[in-house]
Amino acid sequence: MSVGLRLALPAGALFEDACRLLGEAGVADVDPGQFERRLSVSAGPVTMAKMRPTDVPVYVEMGACDAGIVGKDILWEQPLDCYELVDLRFGACRLVLAAPEGSPLAAGRFPRSLRAATKYPVAARRFFDSLGLAVELIRLHGSVELAPAMGLADCVVDITATGRTLTANHLVEIAEAGRSSARLIANQASLKTRSTAVNQLAAALRRTVTAAPAPAAAAAGEGPG
Amino acid sequence: MSAQQSPARGRAGGFADWIGAAARRRRAVTEAFVDTFAAWGYEYLSTPLVEPLETVAAGVGGGLQTQLFRFMDADGSLLALVGERTVSVARVVATQLQGARPPLRLCYAGPVLFNRPPLGGRRREAMQAGCELIGHPGLAADAECIALAAAALERAGISGVQIDVGHADFVPALLDSAGLDPEARSRVAAALRDRDLVAVEEALGGSEAGEAERELLLAFPTLRGGREILDTAGERIREGRPRQVLADLADLWEVLDHHGITGSVHLDLGAVRDWDYYTGPTFELFSADLGWPLGSGGRYDRLLAAFGAPAPATGFVLHVDRCCDALLRGAGEQEGAQALRLGYPAGSARQAAALAVRLRAAGVAVALDLEPSGDGDQPVADGAARLEDGGLRWRCAGRDGTGVDALVAARTQAVR
Repeated sequence: MSVGLRLALPAGALFEDACRLLGEAGVADVDPGQFERRLSVSAGPVTMAKMRPTDVPVYVEMGACDAGIVGKDILWEQPLDCYELVDLRFGACRLVLAAPEGSPLAAGRFPRSLRAATKYPVAARRFFDSLGLAVELIRLHGSVELAPAMGLADCVVDITATGRTLTANHLVEIAEAGRSSARLIANQASLKTRSTAVNQLAAALRRTVTAAPAPAAAAAGEGPG
Repeated sequence: MSAQQSPARGRAGGFADWIGAAARRRRAVTEAFVDTFAAWGYEYLSTPLVEPLETVAAGVGGGLQTQLFRFMDADGSLLALVGERTVSVARVVATQLQGARPPLRLCYAGPVLFNRPPLGGRRREAMQAGCELIGHPGLAADAECIALAAAALERAGISGVQIDVGHADFVPALLDSAGLDPEARSRVAAALRDRDLVAVEEALGGSEAGEAERELLLAFPTLRGGREILDTAGERIREGRPRQVLADLADLWEVLDHHGITGSVHLDLGAVRDWDYYTGPTFELFSADLGWPLGSGGRYDRLLAAFGAPAPATGFVLHVDRCCDALLRGAGEQEGAQALRLGYPAGSARQAAALAVRLRAAGVAVALDLEPSGDGDQPVADGAARLEDGGLRWRCAGRDGTGVDALVAARTQAVR
């Protein structure tokens, strides 16, 4: 049995914070620049692979990586057989229901039929179900703020960290549908067959994030606006 | 439309063809499992691939049903392709085998199907082999199943297997004795079922859980180890049902030791399994080569009652395809023994056929050429033999020789 640990890291908004956290926790000394020409980098017993965030749960569930760092928002949409071990606190953002300024919805009146545009259909469905609302969901892959402006949908369910993008598109927040931040996830077999290494990783990351004050959602910076 | 583009060449997503070495490996692993089950006194049972949806639902409840291929029978009733076979075995035990003297030792092997999106490399058809030991409530039955599952994996050539043993009652009993209100209890239970420890922490944070229980529930992934963790946990839990579970696991450890397998067993108090189904000890088998369990099992004393014939029961299932993956990753692709090709000159077809019969009777796999070929001057290819006027010439695994007996000896050695 190898003692090495294979770690999946999400490219994009969470990547640099993930690398910094691994360094601060003493897990692996890794410079984000090292991934410019290569997709996987080894530091001591740890091998790190950089990938699209939605691929992180796939690599971890299938056991190609023992553990991974990924936003909770990705896990909402892809419920998989992985363990979610630690809330890493960075990359904080919220899933909100937002509607155009001046619309009936913005005034708190839910019309009989509602169309919502979202990149998060699973989380949005769960949110509307919890309110007992039958809403037609339109799944989009790009900027959902566009949908109400062009008459495609009455409202959006989207991620926001600072609220700036919503304001810029004349959307107002109506309700919070969820809170996300980066999470440490682990493969179910790795937690058993490499339990010492995985548990040490979880403990080191947990110590580091609980020692530092939790960053406010607004401080996430390059996260979603 | 060219043949290349023909829609008739398609294959449904999530299904696989098994060819050559992969097909041989899949069959060999299945046979190794069933042979081991038979050696432990388990009787082989073959049940249908189709069951009435009502039968499936009585066993596994609503959750798994949505993952099955379902269709309508001629009379309008609903049928399903089985997604596991324990329910079928339970149905047989409650009907045809009613009145048989317990304990019943039964085993099976066959495909199961899941109608779920074939994303992320998940398969929709899997080969499963398993055992059910019905009619005995004691830990000896649980230990036998654990030891048998380990023996079957070993017989199939899978090394370094790790067995995680837990108890379905431990976490629920801990939740009961933690003094949680019903809502907090169901939130913690749901989070544990989802394996979301962040949510467990959140749910416990706002609750009035007792200190010892809170500590244990939070330490959950690390509540694993040898016999000693029972003492560690016992220091914090002195009474009630959780304490009784610890005592049960200590007894189970003792019986596992009789079977000589405690060296590869870990006790896992935080094991998260289906609590509505399992009622006692549970276990999972892992290999360092694979990200999924190779098999799992446990005590399910409530299932038979759903078929009107209450009886204690325990059993397990092994995932043949995952075991094949583990073998492939552990040892790499191995060229299996191909059948010996037997050639002959024109006019010797009768002698060649008789020779093939003789070789096969001696345990040598022979593919007899369909047409006579060449003359005695050409060299014999590797893995082939030629019947000639002067007798039999053969060549296999780099060795060549003459004569039937030498060939049988060489092939028997190679197959071993």
